[in-house]
Amino acid sequence: MKLIKTTAILLSLVLCLSLLSACGAGGGYTADNTEFVIGVSGPLTGSAAMYGQAVVNSAQMAIDEINAAGGLNGIKFKLISTDDMNDASKLSANYSAMLEGGMQVSLGTVTTQPGLEFKNLSFEDNVFFLTPSATGDDIPTNPNGYQMCFADGNQGKNAAQYVNENFSGKTIGVFYKSDEAYSKGIFDQFKANLDPSVQVIETSFSDANATDFTTQIDTLKNCEFIFMPIYYTPASLFMTQAKDIIKPNATYYGCDGFDGIDNIEGFDITAIPQAVTMLSHFNGKSESGPAKDFVDKYTAKYGAATLNQFGAAAYDCVYAIYGAMKKAMAEGTDIPVNISASDLCDILKAQFAGGYTMTGAVTGATITWDATGYVNKVATKYVIKEANG
Amino acid sequence: MKIGNFKLRHYINYIVIGILTLVLGTMSLTGTRFDNSLLFLLEKVAISIILAVSLSLVVGFLGELSLGHAGFMCVGAYLGGKVATLLVPMLGNGPLTFLIALIAGAGAAAICGIIIGIPALRLRGDYLAIVTLAFGEIVKSLFQNSSDDSFGGSLGLETPRYDKHYLFILAFLLVLVTLAVIQNLIRSKHGRAITAIRDNEIAALASGTNVTKYKLLAFTLSAAFAGVAGVLYSYSNYTVQSAKFGYNYSIEILVMVVLGGMGSINGSILAAALITWLNTKLATVLTGDLAVLQNLLYALILIVIVIYNNAPALKGFRDKYNLGALAEKLIKHDPARVKDDKAKWDVVPTKISMDEILSVDLVPQDHDQGGSK
Amino acid sequence: MEQIFSTLVNGLSLGGIYAMIALGYTMVYGIAKLLNFAHGDIIMVGGYLIYVGMATQMPLAAVLLAVVGCVVLGICIEKVAYRPLRGASPLAVLITAIGVSYFMQSMAQIIFGSAPKMVTVYDFGAVELFGATIQVSSLVTLAVATVVMTVLTLFVKYTRTGRAMIAVSEDNGAAQLMGIDVNRIITITFAIGSALAALAGLFYLLKAPAVSSTLGAMPGIKAFTAAVIGGIGSIPGAMLGGILLGMIESVSYKITAIAPYTDAIEFSILILILLVRPTGFLGKKRREKV
Repeated sequence: MKLIKTTAILLSLVLCLSLLSACGAGGGYTADNTEFVIGVSGPLTGSAAMYGQAVVNSAQMAIDEINAAGGLNGIKFKLISTDDMNDASKLSANYSAMLEGGMQVSLGTVTTQPGLEFKNLSFEDNVFFLTPSATGDDIPTNPNGYQMCFADGNQGKNAAQYVNENFSGKTIGVFYKSDEAYSKGIFDQFKANLDPSVQVIETSFSDANATDFTTQIDTLKNCEFIFMPIYYTPASLFMTQAKDIIKPNATYYGCDGFDGIDNIEGFDITAIPQAVTMLSHFNGKSESGPAKDFVDKYTAKYGAATLNQFGAAAYDCVYAIYGAMKKAMAEGTDIPVNISASDLCDILKAQFAGGYTMTGAVTGATITWDATGYVNKVATKYVIKEANG
Repeated sequence: MKIGNFKLRHYINYIVIGILTLVLGTMSLTGTRFDNSLLFLLEKVAISIILAVSLSLVVGFLGELSLGHAGFMCVGAYLGGKVATLLVPMLGNGPLTFLIALIAGAGAAAICGIIIGIPALRLRGDYLAIVTLAFGEIVKSLFQNSSDDSFGGSLGLETPRYDKHYLFILAFLLVLVTLAVIQNLIRSKHGRAITAIRDNEIAALASGTNVTKYKLLAFTLSAAFAGVAGVLYSYSNYTVQSAKFGYNYSIEILVMVVLGGMGSINGSILAAALITWLNTKLATVLTGDLAVLQNLLYALILIVIVIYNNAPALKGFRDKYNLGALAEKLIKHDPARVKDDKAKWDVVPTKISMDEILSVDLVPQDHDQGGSK
Repeated sequence: MEQIFSTLVNGLSLGGIYAMIALGYTMVYGIAKLLNFAHGDIIMVGGYLIYVGMATQMPLAAVLLAVVGCVVLGICIEKVAYRPLRGASPLAVLITAIGVSYFMQSMAQIIFGSAPKMVTVYDFGAVELFGATIQVSSLVTLAVATVVMTVLTLFVKYTRTGRAMIAVSEDNGAAQLMGIDVNRIITITFAIGSALAALAGLFYLLKAPAVSSTLGAMPGIKAFTAAVIGGIGSIPGAMLGGILLGMIESVSYKITAIAPYTDAIEFSILILILLVRPTGFLGKKRREKV
């Protein structure tokens, strides 16, 4: 009795698996494509969801614009997005789902942690990716990977330069998340490039759900400049708890993780007496130019709650890929709609490594790329909020 | 079916998994290229089965709760991955490196199992749960904050990925090894000692069973196989990131064991395969805040199944409407078959204390022996 | 000097919160012989109830809502999930408790979304004390925790119900024979534990104005650690363990070299205590009865 039951269940399992394997073995997932398919994986839920949503919304917006304008020689684009919850172990399933869904080119991942997995999987299959926001230094090390954002090392270096120029011989504070690739990566480079005359008081946290930073604030309370290479959620909590303890004329200086801090529901940044600044390639408050256009279009379509530079960079990424494909076509390369991901990758690699330049983008007037995959553009210190009084 | 001492029902899981491995393995070795999604799924299923079967040894057969299974897996993944990284330049990324990494990972996890087991297993069961939980957090925190040169720190450890077309074959061979070791242990006299401890520790002690030794044996073995799963994980991913091995993952493995039916190896195998498949499917179907429905499902599985199977008030209902009885009605009853005492274990309190004796006396528990009245 | 003073105050106020959560664990464990894994998540529910209640703009009403809501929830959990398993194996109860904890976390995420909700209950500001700037909320936490724990100790020592609780935890069966309604005592224990958890939720919100579905997970585990350190089942033990753990955490975060390992240190202490003194500092040695 039991034997028969067990056998039946196990045999049905085998049947299921063999059925699974029977359908569509081998490559050629793009053969039936009627549009160019761009894939992206990002955190659409969880504590970094604001970034994933911004990227997906903005990429979709760029694609809609390109399609409305007739696509690439009449061929339209399509975006497929998957949710990785910023968890690297979810990535292999997402990646294969996108690949088997006909993905030809990718925006990679939104965040660094899953990106470390993505870069190698996509290298195996030779899929080109241009990530808007996975800032890890190791992300673009394979020839098929490029970044639209600044790498962590670069952000740390830039911040160190700023501190060296302005705080030589003084004491500054650093607050970082010791177990997160993004935060630790920036912090390490920051420290390595810092002038020895600058005194650093450093403090950190590690629990991803930590909300109580009383002790850390107490450590930094005499600092007038606090570098915080962390994401906006803990940063906003830190600032709220510190508002009466840190000196009111102090300055918080963050990296791209600060972006969106002025849009958090229930967090009133004007109640923070200290100045809040960040290093960025995107000015969400600019009065004119492509950045202004982007902000207007985005807020009209999706509202301001998820507006940040991750989205702006994703918007640029889609146009960069579109531009590079267009340029290759103009140079006589044939790009059919059902081109395989690998063939398209070779074309795009040649373009990006061969001095492809993007102009008039939202996140930079001129953008070029190293052959290594790092981006070259201007980063500026951008004031989110001045100190009160 | 019984041929000599060979009972087919004892070997059915080896046979099915063996055939599956043989068929898919031969196809892969002769050049068939499967989809990535299938290959990744097979790897994950194999890892889950090893985890679920090894946890089942502790939870289902020893009757103790371990919430740090992912922590032992983490140790195996990092140690095995590190050893593999160091060996690949010398020995190449072949089966030999894999074997050495496997031994290193499983060994390290086993040592951790002993270190954790010695203080916790002497105490009441709840302590083991909380100590293993703490252990998982300690391990996660240590690897997360390690230096970049040792275990990669926050970026995670970069490990060599085994060729994806062949890794699943090794993975399923390891599933067979796991089954062979754990199933044979359970069916040996040592296994009977382990289940005796589960059913009544004091009685087992009184009849001369070395309780501490068997508890430690089962717990360490379980940790070692979690380490094996960890090494497989490091081989099936390019990076090992400790965030993966948190409390939630331990719970997921526990859900597999509970769903499969505690004390049932085949049940654990099926539940592990089902949940892993569901995870990959649901991840692409449920997006946004709906993704959490998956966790809700796990929570409900834990609550409903455990209450249904264990609540003293539901005993009559259970006896009437369980799957076994249903099947028994459909198929001719075989009187020669000795009734398994397995289903009964959960109604026997692990430790009988005063109030439990009282309740046992007041509520007649065993309706089956009504004939002796 | 002022750094030492502020670390002390922070450690004590954090310890006060841990102690209040640990009390819930220890009482339930002592009386129902059950490790209530869902206890930490009641803190989270309390936090969300305060968030909902703050829509009225009245902090006291919000706190009242949270306390009442958590008490009702605690009693419901006991009735629905734990009572049916009275007399079943400890393992089954433990797994159900984990299921309940997981259930509450995912329900909270479904209702309130995964992003943390910001809520400012009341802004107490900060004061200068002995040269150190101290959050007034830390002092309030410390004061309320002290009062609550004193009241609880008196309640357990001097009221009929309190003494019945001690009796049930000493010997369930004998207490039943002496005419104590064990079910009622267990319900009361859950109610008190949940009310304390709701207050802990309030104190967390006073410290950091954000509530998310995982708010209670870590504090819950740490408070259990505190209960074990102090001796599980012992009320003064839970207080001692909580304060001790709060101080350790506060000091550890202060020292840059070991700050990243704070969690690891706290949990290592748990394992160490179990190795050398399994009954904790103030716990009594119990014999397994046959």
